[in-house]
Amino acid sequence: MTLRRAVARLTALFRRNRLERELDDEVIAHLELAELDARERGLDPLEARREAMRRFGGIDQMKEIHRDDRSARWIENFVKDARYGLASLRREPMFSIVDGVLLTPMPFPHPERIVRVWEAPTPASSNSTTTRTFLEIKRQNQSFDAFSAESLSTATVLINGEPVRLDGRYVSWDHFAVFGLQPIIGRTFAPDEDRDGAGRVVIISHAAWQQHFGGDPGILGRDLLLDNEAHRVIGVLPPGAFDRHRARPLDQPASFWRLNSFTEAEIEAGSHWLNPVGRLKPGVTLAQAQDDLLGIRARIANQIPQWKKGWSVKVEPFDQLLVGDTLRQSIYVALGAVILVLLIACANITNLLLARSAGRAREIAVRSALGATRARIAAQLLVESLMLGALGGIAGVALAAVLIDVAAPLVPGMPFTAEISLNWRVLAFATSAVMLVSVLVGLLPAMKMSTRSAAAALNHASRGSSAATDRTRRVIVAVEVAVSVVLICGAALLFKSLVRLQNVDIGARIERVITMSIDLPWARYPDGNRLAAFYPVMIERLRAIPGVTDASFSGDLPLQGTGGENLNMPGRDERMLVGFKRADANYFSTMGMGMVAGRGFTAGDRAGSPYVTVINEALAARLRDRFGIHNPIGQGVDLPALGFGRNRRVTMTIVGVVRNERVGRDLREPVKETAYVPISQAPRMQVKLAVRTAGDATAAVPAIRAAVHQVDPMLALADIRTMEEIWERSLSGLTEPVWLIGIFAGVAALLAALGLYGVVAHAVTQQRREIGIRMALGARANDVLSLIVSHVLTTILAGLVVGLVAAVALTRVTRSLLFEVSALDPTAFAIGAAVMAAVGLIAALVPASRATRVDPTTALRSE
Amino acid sequence: MSIIDMSKPKSDLPYGTLDLLVLKTLDTMGPLHGYSIARRIEQMSGNLKLSQGSIYPALMRLEQQGWISTKWGVSETNRKVKFYSLTRSGEKQLHIEVANWEQASSLVAKILGAKA
Repeated sequence: MTLRRAVARLTALFRRNRLERELDDEVIAHLELAELDARERGLDPLEARREAMRRFGGIDQMKEIHRDDRSARWIENFVKDARYGLASLRREPMFSIVDGVLLTPMPFPHPERIVRVWEAPTPASSNSTTTRTFLEIKRQNQSFDAFSAESLSTATVLINGEPVRLDGRYVSWDHFAVFGLQPIIGRTFAPDEDRDGAGRVVIISHAAWQQHFGGDPGILGRDLLLDNEAHRVIGVLPPGAFDRHRARPLDQPASFWRLNSFTEAEIEAGSHWLNPVGRLKPGVTLAQAQDDLLGIRARIANQIPQWKKGWSVKVEPFDQLLVGDTLRQSIYVALGAVILVLLIACANITNLLLARSAGRAREIAVRSALGATRARIAAQLLVESLMLGALGGIAGVALAAVLIDVAAPLVPGMPFTAEISLNWRVLAFATSAVMLVSVLVGLLPAMKMSTRSAAAALNHASRGSSAATDRTRRVIVAVEVAVSVVLICGAALLFKSLVRLQNVDIGARIERVITMSIDLPWARYPDGNRLAAFYPVMIERLRAIPGVTDASFSGDLPLQGTGGENLNMPGRDERMLVGFKRADANYFSTMGMGMVAGRGFTAGDRAGSPYVTVINEALAARLRDRFGIHNPIGQGVDLPALGFGRNRRVTMTIVGVVRNERVGRDLREPVKETAYVPISQAPRMQVKLAVRTAGDATAAVPAIRAAVHQVDPMLALADIRTMEEIWERSLSGLTEPVWLIGIFAGVAALLAALGLYGVVAHAVTQQRREIGIRMALGARANDVLSLIVSHVLTTILAGLVVGLVAAVALTRVTRSLLFEVSALDPTAFAIGAAVMAAVGLIAALVPASRATRVDPTTALRSE
Repeated sequence: MSIIDMSKPKSDLPYGTLDLLVLKTLDTMGPLHGYSIARRIEQMSGNLKLSQGSIYPALMRLEQQGWISTKWGVSETNRKVKFYSLTRSGEKQLHIEVANWEQASSLVAKILGAKA
């Protein structure tokens, strides 16, 4: 095609109406001239006209060719079809696309090379590493460009004269090299700056810099008093780097990073407290790194205690750690639900288009008779569905933009790397989803319409849809019903499971208890005696507050996890890992935990007095099963005497058995066997304060703070929460999927109901004549109703059966999400089937009842 | 109206030939309106079957190429019609196409002759 012609074709787009008119004029003139000629040849006027028409050939076909040749026809068609699509939209209900949450990769260069290293007591479990294991790996490994050990560190910092507790991390000097991070101002740690315990330097997060220091660039070189120890600020991390990094869901994001330096005692102690992260060298695979570490472990075998010989080491991708299994599952389940709902929505639109295509059969037939090709008609129909899809997509994205801000804070436990926003990836995803959906939706009607013979369509158009189209629509609706049943069953299962979880016995009375964390700085509490002296004094002060009924210090709070230590019977080197919790004399009474046997701790269980322990019922049962100890009171067990300096194992006398308390964070896990030790005999700087009140617990916070500051004005109260809040948060990550699936199930049922409604309404309209005849012949309203409903009933039933079978087939997926509910729970399935059947019947009855009001005479006359 | 034949408009002419014939007609006869062009081609081609209407897309194509131009005039029936005439570039194009045609047809003739 010459350039000139191309330009002409483009300009023709804008002169369309004029060109059409001119062509019409020419055709008319031509026919007149031809007619004139024919009459001059002696034909009568009628014959002359026929002759002229015959000789001219098909006028409309010629015009189609003319149009095709004259302009950039595809553009013209597109514009025209787009108009068609828009016009149809005004008549058709809209649908929107629910967009799934996409996880962006971690905001670090080459995130796939960042790994986490564990020691593994068994192949299925993971443990932090000892100092020695970490140091040996760091010294000997061939696999890492950078290797850092991370551990929690909190510090009290004076901000505007108020003591504030900040969360931070102890790390190795090359910690930020692991993540490929550079500070936005200042520097990171220098090589080996962590040697000799010299590095009194600190790097702070962007958020802390902004929040506590007003973004002052002069922060560099200033000293930050962490627990009264001066640390020189050397750098500020870029925004977002770790601002949302939480080691546990309830922790604050890290505000500062300081250097680890290990004392000889820490290296010898053998506690598992370090969390190493490493950056793999380019090209090193996980398996190679794993082999490397196993080799190192074999070389240091002589330094590993006998009972840990069977352990192994594990290398895991870092993002696997961030996206926990529960969250990953929830996301997959949510995504699956989104896809199912989307499919139902598609099915509905397909149905609408099919129904409409029946009404448009005549229009399409005329177009094809006038020479529009089959492809051309199919293209038109596809463009229409694309327009529908695009508008739906735009509405969906707009909705998502609004909802994302509402929803994002409601999703706890999201990894800090998950930037939940409408970025280009989500938009691209949405766009391709729209395209795919539109094509899917438009394809069936387009195929059906364009292959229909024009002549047949012209003849049948007045009678409405064909039987084949009707059947297709019924099948589609049955599938919708099936998918909805799957979702409703899933929602019912999850809901039942949630109710079970909410009714789990915590073992502690959680109402009217306020809790907080207190860190006792080493500078003022340099040894165990100081600490042990602080606790009872503080408690007496707190109990003197009016409205406070009890108060206690412990190492950990219920539902927040606790450390584990190895327990063995004296003289037997057979260790078992048990929960290990420090508690003072008031802990059990404050938490409302009753004693099953023996006594709790008393003020007499203090440093220097005989070592004692209280065990929970689960541990008592374990001792009975394993060692045949039926009355554990008075029995001695070996546990580490944790305190300052080197830990040693001592024999502790069991003085009491206490009711099971939910120690761990995950309510789905069984109760952990736990040993309690007096906090005075295992003093600790990071402690939890729990205060039981007579009235509103939160109202007591100012009085508690005042009391604490009377004892030590430099102490910061952190993590102030009621026990009820802690309980609610332990359900977080478990409740959201339930609501999510519940909402999706509701939407699905609604859409399926719409689909059923549409099919029945359409059938009623199509059968008005038949109904009219029947009624004229004496059929009563009930007969008509049962005629229509029985037809729908088979559709619903088919859907129910298929749906239930599919739900059973999907139990493999749901099982892992359920707590104490069988994946084949009959009530849930019954509810699913019943709800869908009810919804479906109502949806069918509404239009069906309209059929009974058909007036036979009008119905018969209308055609 | 009886059922319309849905296939392409009938034409015994090889594709592209119609354009050449239109150009040639205008070259010989001078400016003509559509009907006269169609009639002229029909007369010249004897009993060749041609839908008269098919010249209109051809005329439009040629006009878009700039080989013919249009002018409004009045027909014998006293109606406004387009008169088509050959442009300078149209004349050149006609020469090229005639040459091409002759070359092609002589080639075909040669091959057919050789085979016979």
